Amino acid sequence: MEIKTEQFSEVAKKALESAQSYAFLKLRANFVHKRRETALSTFPDAAAAQTYGAAIRREAIARLPELLEEFEKNALANGARVFWARNAKEANEYIVQLAKERGIEYVTKGKSMVTEELGLNEALEKNGVKAWETDLGEFIIQLLHLPPFHIVGPAINISVEKVRDLFIEKINLKEPTLDPAQLGYAARLFLRDKFHRVRMGITGVNIAVAETGTLINVENEGNIRFSKSSPRTQVSVMSLEKVVPNLEDALHLVRLLCRNCTGQKLSVYVSMDNTPKKDDEMDGPEELIVVIVDNGRSKIYQDKIAREAMRCIRCGACLSSCPVYREIGGYAYGWAYSGPMGQVLNPLLLGLERTQDLYRATTLCGACKGVCPAGIDHPGLFLQYRAKDVLGEKTFRARKRPGMERSFFRLWTWAVTRPWLWNWGVRTVRPFINKEVHEGVLRKVQGPFEGWFRSRDLPAMAEKTFHDRWRETQESQGRTQEAGGAK
Amino acid sequence: MEVISLFIPCTVDLFLPHVGEATVSLLRRTGVRPIYHKEQTCCGQPAINAGYREQAKKAAKHFIRVFGEDEKVVSPSGSCVGMVKHHYPELLAEEPEWRRRAEELSLRIYELSQYLVDIRKIENVGASFEGKVAYHESCHILRSLGVSEQPKRLIKAVKGAELVSLNAADSCCGFGGEFAIHYPDISESMVRDKVEDYLSSGADLLLVSEPGCLFNIGGFLNRNHPGKKVMHLASFLAKNQGR
Amino acid sequence: MKQSARDEILSKLKSAPREAVASRPDRPVLKELSLTRDELIEMFSKNLVQETGVVHRVKDREQALEKLSQIAQEERLKKVMIATDDVVAPLNLVDWGKKNNVEVMTPQDFGNRDSYIDAVFEEADAGITGADFAVAESGTLGLVHRRDRARLVSLSPILHIAVVPVERIVAIYEQAIEKVFREKENLASQFCFVTGPSMTGDIRGVQFKGMHGPRKVVAILVG
Repeated sequence: MEIKTEQFSEVAKKALESAQSYAFLKLRANFVHKRRETALSTFPDAAAAQTYGAAIRREAIARLPELLEEFEKNALANGARVFWARNAKEANEYIVQLAKERGIEYVTKGKSMVTEELGLNEALEKNGVKAWETDLGEFIIQLLHLPPFHIVGPAINISVEKVRDLFIEKINLKEPTLDPAQLGYAARLFLRDKFHRVRMGITGVNIAVAETGTLINVENEGNIRFSKSSPRTQVSVMSLEKVVPNLEDALHLVRLLCRNCTGQKLSVYVSMDNTPKKDDEMDGPEELIVVIVDNGRSKIYQDKIAREAMRCIRCGACLSSCPVYREIGGYAYGWAYSGPMGQVLNPLLLGLERTQDLYRATTLCGACKGVCPAGIDHPGLFLQYRAKDVLGEKTFRARKRPGMERSFFRLWTWAVTRPWLWNWGVRTVRPFINKEVHEGVLRKVQGPFEGWFRSRDLPAMAEKTFHDRWRETQESQGRTQEAGGAK
Repeated sequence: MEVISLFIPCTVDLFLPHVGEATVSLLRRTGVRPIYHKEQTCCGQPAINAGYREQAKKAAKHFIRVFGEDEKVVSPSGSCVGMVKHHYPELLAEEPEWRRRAEELSLRIYELSQYLVDIRKIENVGASFEGKVAYHESCHILRSLGVSEQPKRLIKAVKGAELVSLNAADSCCGFGGEFAIHYPDISESMVRDKVEDYLSSGADLLLVSEPGCLFNIGGFLNRNHPGKKVMHLASFLAKNQGR
Repeated sequence: MKQSARDEILSKLKSAPREAVASRPDRPVLKELSLTRDELIEMFSKNLVQETGVVHRVKDREQALEKLSQIAQEERLKKVMIATDDVVAPLNLVDWGKKNNVEVMTPQDFGNRDSYIDAVFEEADAGITGADFAVAESGTLGLVHRRDRARLVSLSPILHIAVVPVERIVAIYEQAIEKVFREKENLASQFCFVTGPSMTGDIRGVQFKGMHGPRKVVAILVG
């Protein structure tokens, strides 16, 4: 998938200027946020349930290599095949080879963010294998050649009119309709044919259970179940952080995932795969192939703080709670992962150099951290990435900060630890700041603050700081006391 | 008489000294003697937000030295108190003695409304105000310190004042320090939403407990809706004494 | 010799700085565990109906067949694909089909996989299966897939009818999972939790039923 993380500001600006997008985002985010709260209240103690989820994910990451080994051992014993891929190239080559060896003309795909990360569809199509996205939202953006707007609802911002026109053009929609159910039915008919004859289905993995070698997928539409039942070959792609210790843990996370993601107690289908089909089964895959993808994660894992980002279970609650996401939507984040979870993941996977805006375009309000069932401290991680830039950490491909900023903070540190210098600095800087003061208000200050003053005033720097005023009050009190006045 | 040490953030010191004065006056009304260490400068938030941890450490150590002997420290800024409570121990984690001092300080530093309601056990500070008042829940004071009820109780205890709700009181106003400077379009959109919420709430006045939010919302109001006011909670309580 | 991807990845992970595994807080207890059987049946029904599922309660085999006749009439069923699992088999639906003018097919009727798949995609108006579990906490059916309960029977036709003996109602998912995964050497190829009809909200968040899977789910609780 094309990386556009460096176009953050441009794309964000476009989103802000679109009144339609703006209105939709506000309503949508609010609605989803409230539905999530209602769903979580079905837990006797929602906070405890969230905390427990975080504990499971923390442990899963802490024990990652052992859990992966255990998962592989059990999956192999079950008759599955396990392929490990260091990077996108290895994963894509392997899957393309599987398809070519089997004479596969097309595959049906369940929604999988990691396959977007890998650019798997492009790799397949370059090699003559058509990849049909079958999740309705993914299907729509595939036809439109757009990136996902939201990790859970990738086409949620597309107008009904646009979908209607698209389906008339691309999938033979006969009756022009604006009823989403009718449009969905047209997609059902079109894709049903693909499910019927598909010989290789590719899915992601929501959770991989170490103790039993089980793969778990969570969905509402049924397209993943079709991709695992109709074809003879099932390929399930998992990024390596998806593993959890056991089934009880998996069930708890599934409860949390569904409530946090779509406000449901449980998604319509939770399918758990152990083995390829038995000899006497009439459907199901003869080959069950798991592809475990690294793609930069073992490197992230070396950093005990950064690895916290790997706890993410892809619920998307952070997106709906984020006041910045609510203004700009998903495109601005420039890659497969958007919103706060994209802001913590993309910089680690792509390098800090080209993802600067992702961890700087935030007020650190903490709403994301507050809703996260995996216990990720997004604001804390953003600050860590900024610190890595300052230090120029090469492993993370940091970008060193501008000279002026470094000089500023050198001066600032001097002043902060020397009160006399601090106060002198204040007195010196004041006339520059207050150059254009009018009735105690600043409408403009020269320098990098121009953006603020486009729509906002600022109080002028006080002629007498609090510090000054206190000192004067103390001095006058002292004089009064000396003169014998009682106070 | 209870003595508390004032921590006046640089934002207040330099741009909103009247908020500092209001804080002093309010504390005195409740029978507290405030002292002010002239050596205080800045808690270090700008440095840590920009990733300059070594520099932030120096600011932290200076702060700990300045406030090290005080029994209680009180500030009219939740974000600065949050900085001290939550970031200092983590910042100084590798220097055990400093970390111990930071952890110990974090137990006796309070945001103003937290101090008044939880420690002084005072809700009625003798203020009165005829009209409807709305309260914006600043992000750090709410999520970092868990302070939400306390400011509202202080407001509700004001004679004649009616606390009305905002639709999205806990939604960020869009300040975020450097965020407002570097991403002004997004910031502006966020503050516009916050102001629209205020304007449609029926409130005569909006109150905040955070200097940054005051700059942001106040700055936008001043330019675009000069008739509508926002005040710091301390100023509101101090200004409307015993009418 | 060059290290395999597997070994390289695992060795990188293992040589990373390790952290002590923090002890977990207590697992939160679920409230459904303290309900009586009748309350569980009620909760199951209520939850499934909330997802637009239809729930019928019948006493015995005869009433179940009567109910099926009723449904066949209402839904104008001409051909159905059925599982041959331990719930459906005793109903002798082939017989029932003859009496009700419904052609009853089983996957095993077809000589080969492809013909069965053609039929379950193109000819079946409904799929009829049993269920191994009915989970009260969310109105969810638990289906183990094996020879006598093929996967597509409950997925492909637009109507899914599940016959569920009332003894199979449990409170929470764990009680189903515990039974299904008990014998590690004999794991079923796939186990599914199914909660109501398939659905989506992907177009502007407007939810509707019947995306790729069934549009309607009927549960007949027997006993």
